[in-house]
This record gives sequence, C-alpha cells and structure tokens, in this order.
Amino acid sequence: MNAHPPSLAIDLSSLSEPELRRLELKIARKHSGRVPWIAVVWAFGNLAVWIALWPLVISGVVPIWLASPVAVVNLSLVYLPTHEAQHDIIARPGTKLRWLNELVGHATSWMIVMPFEVLRVTHLDHHRHTNDPDLDVDITSSATGPWNAIWRAIQGRQPAAKRNQDYLASLVRNGREDLVVLSLLYRIGFIAVLGGLAWNGYALEALFLWWLPYQIAMTYIVFFLSWAPHHPGSHRSRYTNTRSWKSSVGNIGSMGMQFHIVHHLHPYIPLHLTPAAYWEMRPILEARGCRLGDN
Amino acid sequence: MERVFKTIAGILPLAFAFAFLVPVISQGMQALGIAAPFGLSHLAFALIVGGAWGLFAQVTGRWV
Repeated sequence: MNAHPPSLAIDLSSLSEPELRRLELKIARKHSGRVPWIAVVWAFGNLAVWIALWPLVISGVVPIWLASPVAVVNLSLVYLPTHEAQHDIIARPGTKLRWLNELVGHATSWMIVMPFEVLRVTHLDHHRHTNDPDLDVDITSSATGPWNAIWRAIQGRQPAAKRNQDYLASLVRNGREDLVVLSLLYRIGFIAVLGGLAWNGYALEALFLWWLPYQIAMTYIVFFLSWAPHHPGSHRSRYTNTRSWKSSVGNIGSMGMQFHIVHHLHPYIPLHLTPAAYWEMRPILEARGCRLGDN
Repeated sequence: MERVFKTIAGILPLAFAFAFLVPVISQGMQALGIAAPFGLSHLAFALIVGGAWGLFAQVTGRWV
C-alpha cells in the first residue's frame, strides 16, 4: 500500500467539468472490477490467527503477554475486509462470487461486535451524508486534534454516547429497525461469552484476547478511518469532504487511509489499488481544488 | 418483545459489571498477588468495586 508518486505535474485546470469527470472515471475504472483476493485472504487469515490464540493461550503454549498484542493487531485488521464487502467490492449482487462477499462480511464483523449489515447500512449512510452534523453517523469522531480524537473515540463507546443514537437513527432512517435488535443481540452475546469465560476461570484470557484488544482496535480504527481522513469534519462537498494526507505511521500504519479521498469519490476501487489510483488521479484532484496533503 | 429488549438494553452496564468486570478484578488481584483489604475475599472486594463501577456506568451512561 506504500505507493510512490508517479503522478506528473500536469495542469488540468483549463479542462471543463465533463472532461475532468471523463478522465477521472477512466482512471477509476482502470483500478476496479477485479476480485481483491488479498482482502479475502486477509479476512480469513486474520480470523484464523485470532481464533488460534485462544487454545494456544489457554493450554499455556503461548504466554498471554505475547498473545495480547497479536490480538490487538487481529482486532484492528477486522474492519477493512468487511469494508470492502460493505461496498460490494469483492463481488457485486447477482455475480457468481456474491456469496464470498457476504461471507467475508458476516464471518468476521462479529469479532468487533457489530453485525455486518449494520456496518453496511450505516457506512453507506456516512458516504451519503459525509460531515453532515445531523446525518453523518461518524460525525462524533470529529475532533480538534489527534489526542482529542482518541478521547472522542473512547467517549463514542460509552453507554449513553451520542454515537450510539446516531447509528440507531441511521438504521431507522434506512428502514432497518430489524438491525437494532440484531445489534443488541450481538452486544448481549459479547457480554455472555466474556462472562461465561470469566466465571469459568478465564477472565484474564477474555480480557487480554478480546475485550482490551477490541477497545484499542476500535480507537485505532475510528482514529484512522473516521477522524483523520475527514478532519476537520466541516467540509461538505463531494471533492472536499475527505482529504489526502501524509501519516507519520505511513500508509500501512494508517490502514491505507492516506488516500481516503479516492475511496469516497470511487468506493468501488479496492483498498490495495487506491494509492495507485490516487497518484494517477492527483492532477485531476488538484484541478478540482481537493484538499491534498504532502504525500 | 420490544419491552423485553428495551429492558435488557437498559441494564447492559450492570450486566457487564457483574458478568465480566467482577471476575476480572477478582482474578486479576489473584494473579498479581494483591490481597483484598479489610480481610475481604477477592470476590467480595471485586463485587463491591465492580458493582459500584457498574452502578456508576448505569446511572451516568459512561464508564470513564
């Protein structure tokens, strides 16, 4: 995901809007339409590693201090393959591999205690209403700076957080009240599993393999997927509501979000091809007055 | 059914505290070799601390 800038310094500002649009779409199509197998392997490989940690730790083969950081990485890596599935990037409805798209989403999203359909409905709503203070489900992640963003991400997981209400409102607005009950069942299931393990003598295993990694991972995910690419969270137009920026932890460390602007403009491009699409598209984005960083 | 779900949703912080937080505190203290004060058992101490924290979250809507 670390792309180097092959982008040429071309001034396209004299081109008309339809001409820019045509060029932009041509690049977007070039980088889409193929099954991103990397996301599929990533999803199931990550799931397998995390599940394997449990017997390895409980049987004493792997110490918990070693397994817990691995679990943090596992939980942090859950979201992006489901994100590809939310946008039907693995396979569109009606295609031969559609089942795989849905399987990736459903088989892994439970690790972060969210039903796949809830992620899909609310995330697509975020795309429709990016940075809208009333309708963007992720608006509560906007913050004044990185430390404030971390604190806001933690606050967003409190029982009475506005973020919970925003997600609920999004489901109702989209006619998916059924998912409210499913979300609650996931929550109850999470507490039941943690409780079952804890009262059977595995409280610390449950704490360090799931609960704590989940908390760290969700803060990390909200920071890089929600706060950083939309900061300051006040621009509303299609070409300015997200940005590109240079992350101090690199493109992999920021989960590919340095080029999130391309994802919002063309959400059918797979994550691993977004950097290449960005560099090719950059002169067009410059001509359109997008918020582009130093990368 | 809706009422049942609303009731369950309304007590999740307390449920989390007694299902998970209490045994985590108890087993954590045992693992670290920390004795409970006032001659209490680990579990009794964890029930007081975990229960109080759960009640705080239940009433205020936040853990921190």
